[in-house]
Amino acid sequence: MSKEFMPKIISFLCKWCTYSGADLAGTNRMKYPPSILPLRVMCSSRVNPVFLIKSFLHGADGVLIGGCHPGDCHYQSGNYYTRRRFAILTTIFDSLGLESERLKLSWISAAEGTKFVRVSTEFNEKIKSMGENPAKKKIFL
Amino acid sequence: MKKSYTKGAKISNSKGSRKTILNFLKGLLKKGSLDAVLIPMRVPAGDSYAWVLIKDKKLLDDANPIAPIMPVQGANALSSCTKKGKGNLKIAALMRPCEIRAAIELSKLNQVNLESVTLISYDCPGALPMSDYLQDPGEGEKVFDSLLKKRDRDVESVKPVCGICDNFSILPASDLHFGLSADSRDNILLIPNSKKGTGLLNKMDIKPSEDISSWAKNIEELKKVQEKKRKERFEYVKDMVEGFDSLVKTFSACVGCHNCESVCPVCYCRQCYFESETAKPDIESILLKTKNRGSISLPADRIMFHVGRMVHMSLSCVSCGLCTDACPVSIPVAELFSYVGDRTQQTFEYRSGEEKGEPIPMKTYRKEETKGINELVKGAEG
Repeated sequence: MSKEFMPKIISFLCKWCTYSGADLAGTNRMKYPPSILPLRVMCSSRVNPVFLIKSFLHGADGVLIGGCHPGDCHYQSGNYYTRRRFAILTTIFDSLGLESERLKLSWISAAEGTKFVRVSTEFNEKIKSMGENPAKKKIFL
Repeated sequence: MKKSYTKGAKISNSKGSRKTILNFLKGLLKKGSLDAVLIPMRVPAGDSYAWVLIKDKKLLDDANPIAPIMPVQGANALSSCTKKGKGNLKIAALMRPCEIRAAIELSKLNQVNLESVTLISYDCPGALPMSDYLQDPGEGEKVFDSLLKKRDRDVESVKPVCGICDNFSILPASDLHFGLSADSRDNILLIPNSKKGTGLLNKMDIKPSEDISSWAKNIEELKKVQEKKRKERFEYVKDMVEGFDSLVKTFSACVGCHNCESVCPVCYCRQCYFESETAKPDIESILLKTKNRGSISLPADRIMFHVGRMVHMSLSCVSCGLCTDACPVSIPVAELFSYVGDRTQQTFEYRSGEEKGEPIPMKTYRKEETKGINELVKGAEG
């Protein structure tokens, strides 16, 4: 029997919103896919686009960034920068024909435990349907 | 809105465009309107050019205002002397349009101070590839001289990115411009494009009274041709990189020397991630990767370096082509970066080096972003 494909989704979650949202999901005993590997960052703008490229090229099947809703950033404007960085990264992935669908940005507040569950489940399903990251088997990287 | 200048002065080109430019600069030094000129000069070995800052007008005779090659980007030279402040010297920098655009990008990063600098541009015929020139500098000079005399752009012998350059003439940022592709080769148009430029002409008692529309029309036409070439070439570049396999193939020869990074004028960070210790993998992570993939090529993370650099600097890329010149294994880095740079600059409705005050898109934000950006992050709300 072949094992079902279980993706690895590296998730950079902002401490103030999405990470707390994920916590809320946990304390409410809501279930989200075990493929989500959360990394807590102080702000979504802490995420250098290189982190995403590194995760992707090193074989992560998906990369998720979670931040506060625009206007709600704990540091006033961090997520506005995140939005621009994400836009430039997806443009580059699209230009190079890499699968930008494997990158996801989502605004999830500390109160949105259900949204975190929904977003992570949907993203997980999408990655599952896309299959393994082709970078996993590449040698000349 | 910026005032547009539509008049120029015709000066005789009987001694050749290089001599004419030099004589003009000499005049400015003599009058004291300028203290020094930043200009390329042939190195003593005779096989390359270097940037020199000239104060003594007699030494200007040895300078070559339009060098056939671009071993060091002018913006880097300008940055090396103005990054710590403006000083009290009035400098004129005679540079190619792409060098001026790079200088503008660097001024946004506080690496160039333009306050006491007058930027002088000219209709650039392109630059020769370093490798071609080094094989036979004498022949290179001849080839380039013939390029200078042509009214059209010859794309055969110049660098590939110069062949598809569509921004080779006057810029919003240039203070003064030498229109070399004027109606006839007997004249050069001297076009002031800012208060600084007009001031210099006044000092020299040159009245910009000639109409420049026929020159401008010619440039517009050339630009259109170039835009088309650029588009066509990018279709080819797209095929070269699109898809994981093509990307790996294109960069597989990379030796990880980081030359492209060190010569790049706009690749500036106070602390470069790729040069930091963090970027150097430890043995455990290498072994883990080897275990997972069965094998791994070393030094690792070369594609990450290039894609990461695209994120960091493609918005500022001026397509000067120094990276290709510097690549020891002839990867067409410059074309790849121009291609990606054009796309990212379109996303942010930004053109590198165009406007002096405009911040680099990564250093700013809007609460309500443009449609293009919203389209790319549309999944974020759902």
